[in-house]
Amino acid sequence: MSFLSPLFLAGAIAAAVPIVLHLLNRHTEQRVPFAAVALLKGAPVEHTSRRRLRELLLLAMRVAALVLLALAFARPFLKASSAAGDRLTVIAIDTSLSMSAPATVARARRLAADAVHAAPAGADVGLVRFADRAEVIIQPTSDRGAASAALERVAPGFGSTKYAAGLATAAELFAGRSGTIVVVTDLQAGGWDAGDQAAVPESVRVDVRDVGPAPENLAVEALRADGDRVIASVRNTSERARSVRTRLTVDGHPAGDTTIMIDAHGSAEATLPRVPSAGVAVATIDDPGGIPGDNIRYALLGKDSTTSALVVTTTGDLDKDAWYVRHALITPRGTAASLVGRWNDEDLRDFGSIVVLSTRGLERPGREQLAKYVNRGGGLLIAAGPDVDGEVIADVLGSGAPIEIKGPNGDPERVAAQQPQTLAPADVRHPIFKAFGAEVASLGLVQFRAVARVTGPSCQAIARFTSGDPAVLDCAAGNGHAIVIASDLNDRWNDFPIHASFVPFVDQAVRYLSGTASRGSEYLVSEVPAEVPPIPGVATVKTGSGTRRVVVNVDPRESQVDRMSPEEFQASIAHLQGGAAQKANADTNEQENRQHLWQYLLAAMILAVAVEGVVAARMA
Amino acid sequence: MATARDRQFLDPAVVARLGTLELKARTVVEGFISGLHRSPFKGFSVEFAEYRQYIHGDDLSTIDWKVYARSDRHFVKKFEEETNVHCHLLVDVSASMSYGSRGISKFEYAACLAASLGYLMNRQRDAVGLTAFSDRIVDALPSSTRPGHLRNVLIALDRLEVGSRTNVAKPLHQIADAMTKRGMVVLISDLLDDPEAVIRGLKHFQYRGSDVLVFQILDPDELDFPFDRATRFEDLETGDEVMAVPAAVREHYLKQIGGLIDRYRRELGAAGIDYQLLETSEPLEMALLSYLSTRSRTA
Repeated sequence: MSFLSPLFLAGAIAAAVPIVLHLLNRHTEQRVPFAAVALLKGAPVEHTSRRRLRELLLLAMRVAALVLLALAFARPFLKASSAAGDRLTVIAIDTSLSMSAPATVARARRLAADAVHAAPAGADVGLVRFADRAEVIIQPTSDRGAASAALERVAPGFGSTKYAAGLATAAELFAGRSGTIVVVTDLQAGGWDAGDQAAVPESVRVDVRDVGPAPENLAVEALRADGDRVIASVRNTSERARSVRTRLTVDGHPAGDTTIMIDAHGSAEATLPRVPSAGVAVATIDDPGGIPGDNIRYALLGKDSTTSALVVTTTGDLDKDAWYVRHALITPRGTAASLVGRWNDEDLRDFGSIVVLSTRGLERPGREQLAKYVNRGGGLLIAAGPDVDGEVIADVLGSGAPIEIKGPNGDPERVAAQQPQTLAPADVRHPIFKAFGAEVASLGLVQFRAVARVTGPSCQAIARFTSGDPAVLDCAAGNGHAIVIASDLNDRWNDFPIHASFVPFVDQAVRYLSGTASRGSEYLVSEVPAEVPPIPGVATVKTGSGTRRVVVNVDPRESQVDRMSPEEFQASIAHLQGGAAQKANADTNEQENRQHLWQYLLAAMILAVAVEGVVAARMA
Repeated sequence: MATARDRQFLDPAVVARLGTLELKARTVVEGFISGLHRSPFKGFSVEFAEYRQYIHGDDLSTIDWKVYARSDRHFVKKFEEETNVHCHLLVDVSASMSYGSRGISKFEYAACLAASLGYLMNRQRDAVGLTAFSDRIVDALPSSTRPGHLRNVLIALDRLEVGSRTNVAKPLHQIADAMTKRGMVVLISDLLDDPEAVIRGLKHFQYRGSDVLVFQILDPDELDFPFDRATRFEDLETGDEVMAVPAAVREHYLKQIGGLIDRYRRELGAAGIDYQLLETSEPLEMALLSYLSTRSRTA
């Protein structure tokens, strides 16, 4: 039995009060020297004994009433436990794409089977598989054979690695029990996203079984159209340079092939010229020993093709208003702020993200369109420069992400006279800065002459200026995100565009925002809407005006071989144990609410008080 | 609320706080006699001796109106005390007599009573003797009318201490066997003993030709058993302990003590022995009245 509020048990100490009073009364019974004691000796002694019994019964009832009251307030409940005992071992096996190399799959099954057999005698065993989502394969059971048989059926899929999802699902199986979560994984570093939270109860140990590094692998990481050409980016994760033959088909018809040489741990682009301007392009490579799922990539050519970003400026002329951003992005499209309201929903859905460089002329319809875009899961990159009005941005993001942007409040001369500031990432694990790796320090070379002050309760500062003010903020808004940089991106308040870090920063920001959005025509396996199966390929989805084709690709991060140590993995979990305690508390609350044992205890206490009253009345 | 009788007589607890036994006895007896002159018992305690011409200042109540009717002169009656009654005071000094709950123990009450009786006897020129006993005779003074004898009696009473266990019958037989003159025997005891043996002992005195007056002295607690809390009762004589809840044993106890008293009253009355139950809260004068009643029969 456990208690929801065990501190109330201290109230049971009050039960000592009637006991002490009883003992004191017993010791202070009066002694009377008496002459006629002989006349008392024939008195019915059993009356005295009966009275003693009644006194003891009274004492017992009083003590019981107090103890029952304390127990009732402590809110007891019976812990749910399986027949096999209170201990549990849950094996969480990583079935992400990176685990799909043939040798890796076999190793993972063997390690998982070892964990099943090594589970303590009498302990139940559960089985969870996870990639970007987690699924319970075997509920906790004492049947080790069933768990072993289920392991044989476990096969990796095409999903991304999300450790938090796997640990959360595994932790839910414990329901107040103690034990071990055995995580069988390749320890891919990208499995922890910034902001992930895993709820692991404190009584649960996490044991990591490393399947080892991924084998040599070749992966098609990107496929895009560039005029009449199609460019495929291919990464080589092996220790040696490799020659790769890339073949392209469009709508199932061969559209050419090319062979490129890729250095060790490098990437290269395979360009396939003079391909049809529309259709589904599929680039494939041969890599028999590597991860099979990343040897193919899909893209829509022509009008179905996804444009990377829509850039909102004052005039819509990117060469004039956003020359640096225009060249930092692949095929961006520009629009004037005053014209945003004319875009329809479907058109905007084609963009992975929208870069807002100006709000001049952004009227109510345009603001509502942007707000709708974000609420549906779109991503906004907002440069809080001189052309951006903080009130308009606050209006766009709405109450879901209340934000306040205050400009430097000065004329250009005064702005120029301000002391330059630099920025430093506050969260190097954030996807925008993660891609910089060791080069993240290069962001510190940027000189910011003027900055805006940006604050918002739902915003997380992922980089700060040397003054301590937020420089880059990640704001959750509706189902989408907004990345706000507290300066401009056009060489007016800073020299950011002329630094080498500008292009990767803008590119990563747009990629990050695109990743959070359900783009109109291209999805990652982990982001597909409900009507699209989570496997790479081509699918058809319904739209308001009919149907359209979309392509689904694997997450290119799964092809990266960056790994973490088991210690780093454990360290990430340790930060999340407070949440697990809350979850455990919620579970115990639910159990206690179901059982309502306190009501029975309270009834028993009332009964004890009633009996005490009756006995006391007889003795009076 | 105090009764008329209470107002008339002295509270034994007050008497007990007076100085010597002699003072106590004198206070009781003189007050008693003074009250007696105003009471229906006037002339009850002494014998008629002669008539005397009334002189100014004589109590009008002493005028013999029959003589006045015959002679048309006022004569007052002159009374004379008898001197030929031998009185023995038998005082129980067993440990059970030490119990007291109203500021006076049974023993103190008994001593006061004995002293008062002795004082009254001496005043009437009766020979006074004293025997104190518990399970044996502790002290004894033969009866005498010698001057100063009363003082010896009172000193003896003053020096008495409560003794050990009770065995009333054995000393009674011893005393009865030792008596050479008929007279009057006054027993002062709580009589918490075997009633059959006690009565047999008292009858022994009757057999020897003496009148017997018995004062059973009991404390109000012993008659009412007013205890309420669980109490460990310790026997004053034997040291035995009885743990009892008064509410549970009260009925039984009262029945027992009532039965004992009834038996004494019934069997002693049947045997012609005067019996008087006295609570220690009752005035001593009540006992003196009983004595005078018995003595009048003896004389």
